[in-house]
Amino acid sequence: MTAPTMTSRSPTSTQRSSPRSLSTARSTSSTSTAAAAPAEDLKSFDAEFVKVDRATLFDLILAANYLNIKGLLDLTCQTVADMIKDNTPEEIRKIFNIKNDFTPEEEAEVRKENQWAFE
Amino acid sequence: VAAVATEEEAARQGCCWAELPPELLREVLARVEASEPRWPRRRDVVACAGVCRTWRGVVREIVRVPEVSGRLTFPISLKQPGPRDAPIKCFIRRHRATQTYFLYIGLTDALADTGKFLFAARKYHRPTCTEYLISLDKTDMSKGSQTCVGKLRSNFLRTKFTVYDAHPPHAGPVVSKRWPAGDYPVIQINYEVNVLGSRGPRRMNCIMESIPVSAIEQGGTAPTQTAFPFFNPKSSRMDSSITPLSSQVESKLVLKNKSPRWHEHLRCWCLNFHGRVTVASVKNFQLVASDESAPANEENDDTTLQFGKIGKDLFTLDYRYPVSAFQAFAICLSSFDTKLARE
Repeated sequence: MTAPTMTSRSPTSTQRSSPRSLSTARSTSSTSTAAAAPAEDLKSFDAEFVKVDRATLFDLILAANYLNIKGLLDLTCQTVADMIKDNTPEEIRKIFNIKNDFTPEEEAEVRKENQWAFE
Repeated sequence: VAAVATEEEAARQGCCWAELPPELLREVLARVEASEPRWPRRRDVVACAGVCRTWRGVVREIVRVPEVSGRLTFPISLKQPGPRDAPIKCFIRRHRATQTYFLYIGLTDALADTGKFLFAARKYHRPTCTEYLISLDKTDMSKGSQTCVGKLRSNFLRTKFTVYDAHPPHAGPVVSKRWPAGDYPVIQINYEVNVLGSRGPRRMNCIMESIPVSAIEQGGTAPTQTAFPFFNPKSSRMDSSITPLSSQVESKLVLKNKSPRWHEHLRCWCLNFHGRVTVASVKNFQLVASDESAPANEENDDTTLQFGKIGKDLFTLDYRYPVSAFQAFAICLSSFDTKLARE
């Protein structure tokens, strides 16, 4: 089963990222009699597929959500989750360019929580 | 020019993530939470809650209380009742030189390992009592410290102890008028000699002032704090963060220790600690929950709190609903302190 190619008409694609084909030769039907690709081949395919810059990864998540492709949504969300791991809040903000919008009191609470968590 | 290009590239890489739709942010953060059930990696969940307000809101929705999830996440989970099924397994290291005790949650299924730090307590000798100040900061166990969550105080004879919570366990103005700010008595612990005198194991019981008997009945709940007001003194969440009790005059839950059985062959008193306690000590105990009026049914009741020695200055502590890590730790400290019965 192949997924449609992402084009510039898709509301989730942007000018910045080049269209990236979502077609895949992967068999997803459990009743298929054709030989399915071995699990380790699929895993390495997936790993290579998400070796993209963060902007493209962002587009892939939105596209997978819009096109309702669960497997791709799982893969891209897990990739982002893996990028978050092993980082402090400040490091996460840098990776994803997120603004710290806590009030001074909330910031103090966050600092104490993280001081304890990273103890 | 090259450096500017790199910065622009970095900005381009990250610029859109703040606009990630909330349901997709939730997908990502739910995966972080689900994949890190154990410490030290569980700190990733706390880190996510410290990124920005949106992330904090999502993480706090996803993370469930220990009673349901069996996991400790934010510091407040140390004040919340433990899981209803399998206990949370912790251990205590005693540092005699500084009269300090450190509570850790185990990282593995070993009796003790590197552990993840939960609480520290320091013993202070006062003229008429001893006090243990319990803190979230292992370097700061001073009175009035912002990280102090409560304390344990003994009577002169060290047979009775009171556990104080720095945080009100009940909602409502009645409590705050009665007690000075930051000193809410939540547990009364009593030690008594056995009918056999000092030759037998001591009896202990703990009156849980903040937990009604209904908490252990079918469909019952125990009060669950949801935020630390002293982390954020201007927070207005204090009143709304506490589950109110239906009635202040409800019977209080009492925890009583299981009586060990005399083992004629081994010539000692024995309790089944299920491998979690390996060194005989008068400090070792198992507490079961019971109605104040009825005696503990020692055969069938599941152990709510278990404490015992596994090595020099090393002890395990396992606790379950409706007791919290803070309450469990405070009760165990009294076992170190009481002078009843020689070791």
